[in-house]
Amino acid sequence: MSDRHDISLQTKETIIDVIAESIRRKSQAGQLASENEIFQELLNRDILKGDREESQRLFKEALEETLNRYEDLEKLPDRGEGPRFYSSQFMTQSYTRILLQKETDLLLLIAEVVRENSAVYPRPVSLDLFGDSPFNLSQDQLQGYLQQMAKEEGYRDIKQTTTSAGNVFLYSSLHLEPDYASMLAEWFDVGQFNNP
Amino acid sequence: MAKHGGWAGKVLRIDLSTGRISSEDTVEKYKDVLGGTGLGYKVLWEEVAPGTKPFDPANKIVFGTGPLAGTGAPCNGRTAITTLWPTCWPKPLVASGHMGGQFAAELKYAGYDGIIIEGKADRPVYVSIMDKKVEIKDARHLWGQGIRRTTVELSQQFGPEVCVAAIGQAGENLIPMSVVMNAYSHSAGGVGAVMGSKNLKAIAVHGTGSVTIAGKKEEWEKLVKLHLSLLGANNQHVVPSSPQPWAEYYSPGSRWKGSRGNKWGASEPAIDTGICDPHDLNTIAYRTNNAAFYLGDIAWKYTVRGNGCTGCPIRCHTMIKVPSVAAKYGISEVGMNTCGGLNFGRSFFRKFPDGARGMTSMEACMVGMHMSDDYGLWCNYSQLQRDFLKLYETGIIKNKLGEKEFNSYSWDKYEKSDPSFLFELLPRIALKQGELATALGLGTGYMLETWSLSEEEWKKDNRLSYWKMGHPKHHASEEVGQCGVIINTQYNRDPQCHSHCNFTRNGLPLELQKRLAAETWGTQDAIDALGSYTPMNIGKARMAKWSLIRKELHDSLSLCNWMGPWVASPLKERGYRGDDSMESMLYSVATGDPKSREELDRVGERIFLLHRALTIRDMGTKEMSTQHDTVPEWVYNDQEKRPAYTKGTTHLGRDDVKLAMGMFYEEMGWDKTTGAPRAETYRRLGLAKVAEELGKKGLLG
Amino acid sequence: MNHYEEAQKLLGKVLGSLGLDDELSRRQFLKLSGFSIIGITALGPGLAKGSAKPLIIMEQAEGIVLADPTRCVGCRRCELACTEFNDGKAQPSISRIKVNRNINFGPKGLYTGRDSLGNWGNGLIIQDLCKQCPHPVPCANACPNDAIVVKPPLNARVVDPDRCVGCKMCQKACPWEMLSFDSEKNKATKCFLCDGKPKCVEACPASALTYASWQDLTEKVPPRAVPTAVLPPAKAAACIDCHKK
Repeated sequence: MSDRHDISLQTKETIIDVIAESIRRKSQAGQLASENEIFQELLNRDILKGDREESQRLFKEALEETLNRYEDLEKLPDRGEGPRFYSSQFMTQSYTRILLQKETDLLLLIAEVVRENSAVYPRPVSLDLFGDSPFNLSQDQLQGYLQQMAKEEGYRDIKQTTTSAGNVFLYSSLHLEPDYASMLAEWFDVGQFNNP
Repeated sequence: MAKHGGWAGKVLRIDLSTGRISSEDTVEKYKDVLGGTGLGYKVLWEEVAPGTKPFDPANKIVFGTGPLAGTGAPCNGRTAITTLWPTCWPKPLVASGHMGGQFAAELKYAGYDGIIIEGKADRPVYVSIMDKKVEIKDARHLWGQGIRRTTVELSQQFGPEVCVAAIGQAGENLIPMSVVMNAYSHSAGGVGAVMGSKNLKAIAVHGTGSVTIAGKKEEWEKLVKLHLSLLGANNQHVVPSSPQPWAEYYSPGSRWKGSRGNKWGASEPAIDTGICDPHDLNTIAYRTNNAAFYLGDIAWKYTVRGNGCTGCPIRCHTMIKVPSVAAKYGISEVGMNTCGGLNFGRSFFRKFPDGARGMTSMEACMVGMHMSDDYGLWCNYSQLQRDFLKLYETGIIKNKLGEKEFNSYSWDKYEKSDPSFLFELLPRIALKQGELATALGLGTGYMLETWSLSEEEWKKDNRLSYWKMGHPKHHASEEVGQCGVIINTQYNRDPQCHSHCNFTRNGLPLELQKRLAAETWGTQDAIDALGSYTPMNIGKARMAKWSLIRKELHDSLSLCNWMGPWVASPLKERGYRGDDSMESMLYSVATGDPKSREELDRVGERIFLLHRALTIRDMGTKEMSTQHDTVPEWVYNDQEKRPAYTKGTTHLGRDDVKLAMGMFYEEMGWDKTTGAPRAETYRRLGLAKVAEELGKKGLLG
Repeated sequence: MNHYEEAQKLLGKVLGSLGLDDELSRRQFLKLSGFSIIGITALGPGLAKGSAKPLIIMEQAEGIVLADPTRCVGCRRCELACTEFNDGKAQPSISRIKVNRNINFGPKGLYTGRDSLGNWGNGLIIQDLCKQCPHPVPCANACPNDAIVVKPPLNARVVDPDRCVGCKMCQKACPWEMLSFDSEKNKATKCFLCDGKPKCVEACPASALTYASWQDLTEKVPPRAVPTAVLPPAKAAACIDCHKK
């Protein structure tokens, strides 16, 4: 009986190590970790084996303990796809918000990014931003979302302005006046490069 | 042997007229002004009489480094070069150029903190400084050669570690728009022709000595690491340019371009710049890519790596390899520079067929660098190019040139924005061939005068960015409101001050900016959001004073004003705070002369005041407010005639600017109306003798 | 066992693993040292009588600093860290990692056109590092006063400043010109791996340097110079002593 207990403890410690390492590694790479992914990794590495139910129980226990033990490991609210995890050592809360929103509602994500930028810095957002990481939207996708936004009541504040270089910027009229937004867009797109 | 840490101990004095080489004790004679611009202003005050002209043998040119140059303090590789300024119009006054590269460190290791060049050689010479062995040597075989060949030939002679600061044909031909350059791409603008007027082709320096650190080595190590931990990317931008996992904030205005997926594509094999987490001090060099910042993301593919000054981890010069230019234009496929230097070639063209961030623009940069960095041409913060555009587009060039000369240029190529047009223009400027080239080479002020053009016209057009006295604005009202205006009134060329805009452009959200501003300048009102300006207040005056003092301090300590001060940092755990006493801490430990932030700022203020005194003396007036500290018309104008301080505008109110200047004068202890420093201010800062001399001439406030 | 037989037994083990019982490499070393075979043999008896044993480093180093030239950005912070944090002064010319001599034009030192290395060539900057040579250690063996010793546990080859007389023979012995000479102290100095936490590695802002387990780079990196050191007679005799069998 005590033998099995010892082995189980050892395994649990190993599981905890792998869980922690996996979450941190993914955070550093700009990704959130999910329960399924981590569980699968443990199976693939033969750390969890045998009875499925028993493995699941052990995993859940270990996961709970890992989160309690390490301050940097955080659990994000379940938005229907299961909880997500990240390490605050490698990823900020603001970044997690982008990643979470990306999974659930891209339209809202675009709007929130535009609104946040318009309120906080403040400045409008170049369309280019959404083509790059972590958004990675194609031109077509982006245009699709913009068209959708134009039709919906909840997105009336999302407006466009075009710079002298022909580039489109988005801003929220809740936080930026049109003149102000276009001046800022012009600065970020043209002005700042003329003032090295 | 240095009496203090930091300073090498000797300032070299070379009289090119007599051939006499001597030296002075740095600490004994110049400690109160540190070095750099401080050294330059002091020498000019004491030894160059008012009325002297830039090309007179009586003019002096002072190469100054500071106690931190050549140490491991981050961002210290700077040399300030102070002299009477050839492009300063209508009357030449004191100004400084700033050169990075390897020169400052090598000079320190050779045992010198600065070099005072006086007189004029009777034939082309260069100066060689190999540790203690200083010689004036015949440069006739180098005269007529470009900066590149000069450097290579002197390296063949003195070894591959020698640092050569040389002028090109532009300096030789006394073109005011000329530079001195070292280490391939590091130039100091505006001084090339002064060297040329003295028949001084180059200074070759190599040192094997040491710079002592007065403090305990463990303490120094800790301090250097602290400084490194607070560094952002170029211009002390403290957030990445796009969202990154490790970052709370980001900004498209940030030069922190490195991140996973962005590669130094022309390195063989390519190197991914990686995560660039601010805690990783071994990846600081990957954060900045100025080629990508200015030329667009296509530049990543052509980036070999970063480059820059001795001792600096930032590497703001980008080395790019663009194979197409070799076949197309017959130039080397490798080029490197930053900011104005990088953009030299493309700034001549209004637009490119494939856009501002396309291949043609990049090729224009390559062609431009290839010539400007060899002929030694200066851009005057791209005023050369803006003037050219205006002169062309308004038909002035066509009017002023005879038909023969006008037709000798391939304007069709220029209209198509063909970079090969530059082969017709740039050499002519350097070699003073033709009326257009000659006029452009004079600098804006003298060009306007020569061609009977109105300076007022130039001051109205905000596209020209012209400010006064023949020079452009440099980070003025268009981005930092009244603080920017004040700074731009103070010098005899563009101010070359980045203290203020490094902060305002660092990418942090407004709320954090304001919190840091309150901690540094006493009130969050010291800064406004860009384009949401508010009327003048005392915080802005304090920020302007701080900006100017820190600029002089950096130029005298040898710290890069394009990287500091360090008010902000990228560290969330510090609330994004940097450390505003970074300069004084480094100074204290390196030199063994303990000074608090306030005490060292007083030294900075002394140095700045000396510049003011020199300007007043040589102008022969104390009416600085109306005669010198002027503001161009465009600052007050808005295209759409909106009132000042409307959101979305960056123009300012006339009365408000007047108030701003008055507040600034008061902050400085200067006469509120004239802007002339008062006697007690000079005395408070240890410049009693200066006050006395000015007093005799009735030039005190 | 007498000392000779002891030495032979130990050497047999070591030489076997190092592959240094090759006639050619022994003779090569002697030739390069400029010493004549006759001279050595004449001194042989002195050693067999059991007189003071000269120091011949046999231990291998445990660590080495490796460099990636494609990452070097030419900032010289490695040279600054090496001297400032070890010697308390900034003197890159005596740095124990050497980069400046290659920064402008590459190791060959002359500008030969765009195909040369360095900032004026293709951009590549070669960082020169001490290889912590295996036996026979050229700098240590050339030292007439046994001033280059190993420092356990890393067994880095280190200059003992108390024993160094400032003759600079070690500088002449190193094929890669890695020995520095501090003329302010009149002592030689060289890379000692900073007790396992090399300052240069820590300082590099481009991750161009790594600290790794020791590996033999002596036959992989082309020499910079032809060594012109003279092997002290006592050491030469010791070589013969060990290798004679």
